[in-house]
Amino acid sequence: MRWKEAEAPVRAADRADPVSQRFSDQLIAVLPRLRRFARGLTGSATEADDLVQAACERALAREHQFQEGTRFDSWMFRIVQTVWIDQLRAREVRKEDSDVPEERLGSDAPVRTIEARLALAEVRRAVQFLPPDQRTTLMLVTVEGLSYKEAADVVGVPVGTIMSRLARARIALQQHLETGGASRRSVKNAEAQ
Amino acid sequence: MQKHSDETLVAYLDGELDGAERQHVEAWLAADDAARDRLTGLAQSADLLRSAYGDIVNEPVPERLIAAARGETAGEAQPRAAEILVLRRPQRSTMTMPGGRWGIGIAAAAALFGLVVGGTGSYLASGLLSSGNPAAEQRLAAAAANNTWLDNAAGYYKLVVSAGDALTIDVAADADSREALQKASLPQTRWPDLKPWGLNFRGARLVVVEGRPAAQLVYTTENKAIGPLTLVIGASKQSDIQPTFDHRQDVNLLYWRHQGRAYALVGQTDIGYLWGIANDVAWQLDAI
Repeated sequence: MRWKEAEAPVRAADRADPVSQRFSDQLIAVLPRLRRFARGLTGSATEADDLVQAACERALAREHQFQEGTRFDSWMFRIVQTVWIDQLRAREVRKEDSDVPEERLGSDAPVRTIEARLALAEVRRAVQFLPPDQRTTLMLVTVEGLSYKEAADVVGVPVGTIMSRLARARIALQQHLETGGASRRSVKNAEAQ
Repeated sequence: MQKHSDETLVAYLDGELDGAERQHVEAWLAADDAARDRLTGLAQSADLLRSAYGDIVNEPVPERLIAAARGETAGEAQPRAAEILVLRRPQRSTMTMPGGRWGIGIAAAAALFGLVVGGTGSYLASGLLSSGNPAAEQRLAAAAANNTWLDNAAGYYKLVVSAGDALTIDVAADADSREALQKASLPQTRWPDLKPWGLNFRGARLVVVEGRPAAQLVYTTENKAIGPLTLVIGASKQSDIQPTFDHRQDVNLLYWRHQGRAYALVGQTDIGYLWGIANDVAWQLDAI
């Protein structure tokens, strides 16, 4: 059954959009990864989405600064990271304690079951104990898959700094997981929980 | 030196070393059991890390973020510039489609959707809308809300296309649809069978429409003239409307509302195919 276009009753026409269509399309396509990156930075789903929304608004305001031919995702990661740093600094000024978990790396945590320690939530929690610069590097390279050079461009530091931050983050994470026994558990088992 | 060793091991795992450095590390690992154990631990923790954040990219993206990416604020969508093209003889107020499944009320559809011209507050609707008219304002509000969810439907379609084979399905094609949807708190529905159109049902994804969970049914095909297509089905508190065609973000949409549900068939195929497929969907789902 085919509908003849000449019989179409109503047709809402294309709209003129103030935001560049191509730019907006790229932004929508990268939203899932921005949310993941932001979740790693903030440790909170709500805060992460607030961060991504703020980053979108900043990106749209600076659309003209994006250079065609360069990686759009890296550009957006940089904006997310910049907005996040701004938010952290603002909190510092207000002396807010931004939902810092009670548990600290290396602290004597209450005894819990092995299963609870090994949950993937524990991994995400462990990330939140890392300093912000290490957390950012870990998310960009290990989770988002950027190369050291790409991560260095996003953060605005030399590649050597990325290497050292990443090594410190990975070692700290591993130590935390070993303390909880998570590293002895397979990924499959962890996901099953 | 331990710090240097850790950096080297991590860089080796990440594939960031050149040939000579890699050979040096491999020789070191072959001779040092402790270094091998350390490497294994680092690799396992990296896998755990990726798993811990893996599912986030498959979560439905909130409407407010899709709106923000378009420079809008969800919930505050304003009617945009649009125009109505009346493509058939204006003296006829209704049209019966082949098969008699849908009758189209031109005046009703025109009054409900896309009536703002130029964004200046002047309206073109055969004199139906005027300033201070409560009914007109109500219709205008409905049109504004409609804009948001249709833009989201187009955005969700683009996410499906951009993900390609990597797309994660929340409810598999072979799952019991009613049971799976019930678990996901989605509107109960069946999967429309669109195989006569060459469209294979790939599965359903959970999305958000009007702040509530909705189903995005994904269909794929080898026929590039038709697919891929998505059908978004969500609950709606707004009144029924007849099938209406729209084009947003380089995507075609055919949408309608029937008895508390909103439907949007989304794709890049032409309006003719969309109409035929939507007609089939509505018949199968008793959504006429």
